[in-house]
Amino acid sequence: MNAFAESASTFIADQPDAAARRQAWSVFESTGLPTTSDEVWRYAPLGDLGLERFEVPIAPAPTSDSAFATQLSERAGLVVRVVDGFCVSTGELVDGVSVEIDESNESLAGESLLRRYESDTFAMLNAALAPSATVIRVAAGVNVAEPVIVLNESTAGASFPRTQIVVGRGASVTIVEYFEGGADALVVPVSEYRLDDNASLRLITYQRLDASAWHIARTTGFIARDARLHQAIVGLGAHYDRSRNDAELLGAGASNELRTTFLGSGDQIHDFRTRQYHVAPRTTSTLLSKGAVADHSRSVYTGLIEIEKGAKRTDARQTNHNLLLSPTAHADSVPNLDIRENDVMCAHASSVGPLDELQRWYLESRGVSREDAQRLLIQGFFYEMLSALPSELAGLVESDVTSVLASVAVVTS
Amino acid sequence: MSSTLKIEGLRVEVAGKEVLKGLSLTMHSGEVHAIMGPNGSGKSTLAHALTGHPGYRVLEGSVTIDDVELLTMSPTERAREGLMLVLQQPFEIPGVRSFDLLVAAGADPATLRSRMLDEARRIELAPELLDRFVNVDLSGGERKRAEMVQLGVLRPKFALLDEIDSGLDVDALDVVAQRLVAATTEWNCGVLAITHFRRLLLQLTPTMIHVVSDGRIVATGGPELAVTLERDGYDIFRTTPT
Repeated sequence: MNAFAESASTFIADQPDAAARRQAWSVFESTGLPTTSDEVWRYAPLGDLGLERFEVPIAPAPTSDSAFATQLSERAGLVVRVVDGFCVSTGELVDGVSVEIDESNESLAGESLLRRYESDTFAMLNAALAPSATVIRVAAGVNVAEPVIVLNESTAGASFPRTQIVVGRGASVTIVEYFEGGADALVVPVSEYRLDDNASLRLITYQRLDASAWHIARTTGFIARDARLHQAIVGLGAHYDRSRNDAELLGAGASNELRTTFLGSGDQIHDFRTRQYHVAPRTTSTLLSKGAVADHSRSVYTGLIEIEKGAKRTDARQTNHNLLLSPTAHADSVPNLDIRENDVMCAHASSVGPLDELQRWYLESRGVSREDAQRLLIQGFFYEMLSALPSELAGLVESDVTSVLASVAVVTS
Repeated sequence: MSSTLKIEGLRVEVAGKEVLKGLSLTMHSGEVHAIMGPNGSGKSTLAHALTGHPGYRVLEGSVTIDDVELLTMSPTERAREGLMLVLQQPFEIPGVRSFDLLVAAGADPATLRSRMLDEARRIELAPELLDRFVNVDLSGGERKRAEMVQLGVLRPKFALLDEIDSGLDVDALDVVAQRLVAATTEWNCGVLAITHFRRLLLQLTPTMIHVVSDGRIVATGGPELAVTLERDGYDIFRTTPT
């Protein structure tokens, strides 16, 4: 037996709901890891993953916050700490917000995780191996003034954070799911967001893992009538960064705005997948994905807009722009539409290309150096992504992203 | 200090076609020169080739400021030697503010804000437009005024104006011309204005007018040349394309 299977088995045996976990584990065992012949895993170098080398921890390892995590925490009304998937602190109570540790293995969709994600191997690993779900609930009608930060820190080995956020009817909140650490680690988060009628969730998923980490994440939003899910997903870290993000627009008038931002350098791969599933009438989804790839890095953006019969007057838009910062970097963009209703508005657009040579010349002709001109253009490219962040966090995230951008080399062919 | 801009025997190719066929011109600080000529005569090519636009290939010739050769320099270095092109259609740079552009171009951040406001006032550009991204959501006239703000802050030795009169109404033209005339005394700026309208020249009062046809200067004279051009058109200067 390998280290992974052995430690997984030890971990599961210790859990109160071992039977449900064993079931998820056996689904994983029978399907195994996907291969690159599977279309949705085509760009994933899973042959290099070496799953057997990762140990599943039975307890969280000691960690220390990065300077950025500390600054982020200072801006929060509530900090929930998760280490190696274990919720180690639920923070100090805030009126109208509760944080619970849930071991039920239930999805917010109202069925078991096993049923919900049966076809997703990595989600099955999370169902089997997440220590618990960290559940954050905002009571109906409560407007939470300060952001809630979920600090996810990972050490070596495999970790399976599971976060569930429930925003009650008419409530509103800003939540940051932040990921750091993870040197030589595998991090497989599963997050779910349920927005009741007329709720509002502004969510930032900020992935800043070590460049050696494998990050395979899945998020799903369930959005009820007139509720609004505003998501910003920023992916800077990890060796292989995969993030699948679904939004199910279940109630009339529900909306989802999703902005994904990624920056690749070295030999990173950013693999972003989105699915906007419109079930109810008059639902809106606006998706803007912008990424830059430098060095030998590559990115894949695959987005699906799916509109059910009856989702009349749906408005769904999907845009993906990719910046190539070196001739050896590569970006793929694959937008898809699947529409079963006639009375809808749908649009998608994508582009892949280097920095604009004439814009650069314009800046240089004012006496700006080539390096500074490139830096200004890259920052400009990302500006609309960062400026849309909640104001109390925009400055901090912007300066962090800018510092990463400054370290990226631009090579023109 | 007085400087000299000297263009000698400049030949430039655009998309495989020779557009400038040996153009020569000399001017000094504080002078205003105008280059006039029909469409396609090579006026804009001159402006773009001088500032190192990537689409223009210099085949032969020399461009110097005080005997320093510019053609072997990068666009950045040329600008730092004191050459600035004010574009007919300045580029939009989404996500980049003029302030940051000008700091990167060497302006002192401590005084920049007040200098920009001062220049905006002089050129009658609404100050709140300074905070927009470079040339984004500005009208044609506002963009040219914004270019003039950059000019006033960067204070080049020589300003090349590429048909800045096109699309400007009479009032805007007045303000732009007044600012340029002031620049010739404030920091002894040399102004080389490319135009095919006489209107701008009424206010700029150039010392010299050069008529360009088929990639060469075919006539040089004083302000009276503009009068001749307006009366008789370019035909009398037109050379047979070679």
